[in-house]
Amino acid sequence: MDGTIVAIWMLRLLFLAGLYAFLWAVVRVLLRDLRAAALEPGAELGRLLVLESPGGEPEVGAGFSLDAVTTLGRDVNATILLDDEFVSTMHAALTYRGRVWYLEDLGSTNGSFVNGSPVEGTAPLAFGDELQFGNVRLRLERPRR
Amino acid sequence: MTRPDGGRGGTARGSAPRTGPRHPGIGATVGRVALALALAFGGLAAGAGYWQVIRSADLSSSPDDAAVIAASRRVARGDITDRDGVRLAWSVLDSNGEPYRKYSSRSISGVIGYASRAFGSAGLERSYDAQLTGVAAADPVQDLVRKFRTEPSDPQAIRTTLAAELQQAAVAALGSDRGAVVMLDPRTGEVLVLASTPIFDASAIADPQTSTATFAALQADADLPLLPRATQGRYVPGSVFKIVTAIAALGSGAVTAATTFPEQPGAEKAGLLVGGYRVRDGHHPATGSTALDLIGATEVSCNIWYALAGLQTGGDALASWAAKLGFGEPIPFDIRTATSQVTNGGGTFGGGFSDAVELANASYGQAETVVTPLQMALVASTIANNGILMRPHLVQAFIGKAGTVSVNPEVWRRVLPADLAGEIAAAMKQAVEGRLGRQFTTGARVSGMTVAGKSGTAELGGTGEPNSWFIGFAPADDPQIAIAVIVEQGGRGAERAAPIAGKLLAVWRSWAGR
Amino acid sequence: MTGSQPTGVPRGAGLRLPRPRFRPRELGLLAIVATVLAVGSASLAATRALRGEADPAASAGFLADGSGLLSFIGGLLAAHVLLVLSGRRTDQVLLPTVGMLGGISLLLMERLPQSLAGGLGLGRTQLVWLLASVALVGVIGAVVRSDAWLRLYKYSWAAVGVGILLVTFVFGHDVNGQRLTLSVGPVSGQPSELIKILLVVFLAGYLSENRPLLIEESSRVGPLRLPPIPYLAPMIAMWAIALSIVVVQKDLGAALLFFAVFLLLLYIATARVSFVVIGIMALLLGGAFLYQLLPHVRVRVDIWLDPFATASGNGYQVVQALHAFARGGLLGTGLGGGLPTIGGVLPIPALHTDFPFAALGEELGLVGILGILGLYLVVIERGLRIAASAADDFRAILAAGLSLVIGVQAFIIAAGNLKLIPLTGITLPFISYGGSSLLASGVIVGLLIALSDRGRDLPAVAESGPGRVQRMPEHGAR
Repeated sequence: MDGTIVAIWMLRLLFLAGLYAFLWAVVRVLLRDLRAAALEPGAELGRLLVLESPGGEPEVGAGFSLDAVTTLGRDVNATILLDDEFVSTMHAALTYRGRVWYLEDLGSTNGSFVNGSPVEGTAPLAFGDELQFGNVRLRLERPRR
Repeated sequence: MTRPDGGRGGTARGSAPRTGPRHPGIGATVGRVALALALAFGGLAAGAGYWQVIRSADLSSSPDDAAVIAASRRVARGDITDRDGVRLAWSVLDSNGEPYRKYSSRSISGVIGYASRAFGSAGLERSYDAQLTGVAAADPVQDLVRKFRTEPSDPQAIRTTLAAELQQAAVAALGSDRGAVVMLDPRTGEVLVLASTPIFDASAIADPQTSTATFAALQADADLPLLPRATQGRYVPGSVFKIVTAIAALGSGAVTAATTFPEQPGAEKAGLLVGGYRVRDGHHPATGSTALDLIGATEVSCNIWYALAGLQTGGDALASWAAKLGFGEPIPFDIRTATSQVTNGGGTFGGGFSDAVELANASYGQAETVVTPLQMALVASTIANNGILMRPHLVQAFIGKAGTVSVNPEVWRRVLPADLAGEIAAAMKQAVEGRLGRQFTTGARVSGMTVAGKSGTAELGGTGEPNSWFIGFAPADDPQIAIAVIVEQGGRGAERAAPIAGKLLAVWRSWAGR
Repeated sequence: MTGSQPTGVPRGAGLRLPRPRFRPRELGLLAIVATVLAVGSASLAATRALRGEADPAASAGFLADGSGLLSFIGGLLAAHVLLVLSGRRTDQVLLPTVGMLGGISLLLMERLPQSLAGGLGLGRTQLVWLLASVALVGVIGAVVRSDAWLRLYKYSWAAVGVGILLVTFVFGHDVNGQRLTLSVGPVSGQPSELIKILLVVFLAGYLSENRPLLIEESSRVGPLRLPPIPYLAPMIAMWAIALSIVVVQKDLGAALLFFAVFLLLLYIATARVSFVVIGIMALLLGGAFLYQLLPHVRVRVDIWLDPFATASGNGYQVVQALHAFARGGLLGTGLGGGLPTIGGVLPIPALHTDFPFAALGEELGLVGILGILGLYLVVIERGLRIAASAADDFRAILAAGLSLVIGVQAFIIAAGNLKLIPLTGITLPFISYGGSSLLASGVIVGLLIALSDRGRDLPAVAESGPGRVQRMPEHGAR
């Protein structure tokens, strides 16, 4: 009888210990993920992903890490150069103010579009929005972590 | 110009100063929400800790616990016996094979209580429901083993410290009066008698056939037989409280056994003026013109001396010395106890007293002072045991199949140095055995044995008879038994309570000498 | 891979199976889960044998041979294989964690009186629903790649949710005084479980779309900064929905859950504490009003304030739950060792739905309870981390909302069991008995796994760009 009871106590404690062993294993995975995330490039404010670019510059699939003010246009002095005949020399600017990205059209000939709608002056953006300048389509994405 | 990042070019970073303050993005707010949830779960952990650790013992052995109830319906509860093994309570089976309780005598009803299927339990039956049904073992190791069994393995028998013969004598001595008697061994804290009257028939409550009618009748009874007066009755103490005042006065050093108050003899005639109010006392013809000391004042029960001693001691000291004796909170005991108090509290005079008048009156046991009989027995026990208060207890041992767990005597409080306790003991001896004391406390003396004690007459206000009190111990030179007697509206202490005490001490003497 | 196929499916056309991606951490964790559950099962069986309860006909039949547990672990492995075959870089912790919770649920349901559920009996029924739930986790985690169908139709989803709610209000039947259950033909379920998911989807869409405006603009009323007036409408609608659930369905738990998740998501999206404060004030105001108005709310609150006052009446279940926690103590009575029955009946009738936390508190003790709370914290941590690293606002708020549903729901019922807040009859995710709840939890965790996808293939580019999918260089170097 006593042997049985000792055995049952062992099983009970083993079960509880197993529960914590699982949690410990999970925490190890979580910590490893955290360390891996810390190794990745850090504090960017957002990303632009090139979805369509018939001119080949920028390349489709390329990603740009964005800082607080980013200009886009055909001018070589633009932060991001868009080589497209329908894009003006200084076409538009992306600015990060407060917690929000804004798109400002800098008086371009053919206009700037957010999710297909033309932008007049300045428009707030959300991550995931699709921007179009001339034939170039870009998507604003959340910064990587 | 910026080229795509990822090793193929620079980044667009650092070109312009940031505009506006940085506000937290989604990453940051998510982090804060995660923190909030973690804190909330910490609250859950704390809650679980409270119920599973702090409240674990009292809830899981409570008579309302499902495991206890389940067990008590199936299990024949263990026997309860007196200190010599005389059965006080045992279980029998009804026609369905379900157990119910029988009790040896009505005299134990106030302490043992009852256990009924329909009406729950009371008294010792309630306190140790879990042990009697075997749901909780007294020994923690047995407790671990027990949890694996459906049937609670080990309904335990309880051997109490009670002496059935003395208990019977106490109930008989109280007769048809309402009252209580407590007798305990001052050296160990073992309670021999815990009698309350009127008594009731616990067997009739436990018997399924008669329980409903019996219980209803008892609940409707104006004499409150279901109230265990010895532990839960709260009474104005009157002069027996003077022993508490003496303990506080001598213990705090404010007064010595030799202290006299020059104003006392005069005040006995004219009354003592305290804060514009006159504290009066009956004039003692034999001692009225002399300034009394502790022994003299105790012998003739001088209210003025004790009022002056109390005032000199101060409210703070009186309250805190009373607290050492157990006042101000329920006494930790095997069955439920009520709280004794020296004052209602809330006053600003010190110790919760509202003014000097209340303190003066409380010093000889009137004002807002109320006590339980058990509490007063502990006061007597403290003096009897050289100032050391043993923890009162009602159980000698839990006896199960797996073994016996004994309850050992332990010191609860070291109240007074032995020499001071001896001085008060001498005063109490004088109050019973002295030339004048004999006149005040007739009936407490036992031939062939010296008795120490103090009687009390607690005025209740109005026109009713006062409560009659006696506390004391014996033999005075080698105390082995302490006693407290209260008879509700029994008249002067010397008339009713003191003779009962004398009679019971005599019974005890022959019981102890057998 | 495609080129080696003898039947020659054309490259890039039709069904192109992804390359399997092994998930070693998930497999390792699942191995621990299987071991621990096996130990638990052995502990339960041994305890029952000792107590002489090895009654093969009633319950222990499929417990004794472990087939129930085996099939559950088999289900977990099948879901694992599905996720491996999907080839996605998704979360590897969620499946084992909910597997552990589900396994503990199975152990608990197997040892309770099987008659609590008709038909197959409590344990088997729960096993069926658990397997369905795990299947949902696997399938959704493996298959759902685009969130467009959720994102684009948020108002439709919201309408569906409100519609279901209204249908339940009208056609639902009352069980235990609560109008929660809806029957369509032979199938019956609790629609609020589905509604909570639809609600999160709608809120994610709405908040991510209007986030800039909600952050930047505000209208001042006295000392309070309110959201812009037009955007108050959804808040008021949420408040009204929550209150109507309390009034009509008498379901305090779902109302509390909806409103709490709503407020937390609002804070996540806007970082504005003032919104949360206003929301809580509105909740308290509505609560006080309902307390005065509705007897069932009053009863719940009074029980919470002092259950011992009505220990044999209204407060009975709560008091018995507290006793169960107390009996458990630090290490518990062991699986199968607790939960005394009085005359063959459990003291808490709704133990398997409303009080499993108390039952586990008794059988596993404080140590076990803390472990289970830890499991829920893991689910929350993973979900919120997925949210924090999501590619866009919609996914971030969606992931946060889904994990908050699990976390807040677990908190509400656990706190109710522990008398920290008034008791509400909602389920403990993955542990309580109940099909609707388990399926909804499965959908939520499946979506979380799908949202955690870090395989950075670009479906939008793949459609429009010339040729093959281009992997971005910075992601290739890993």
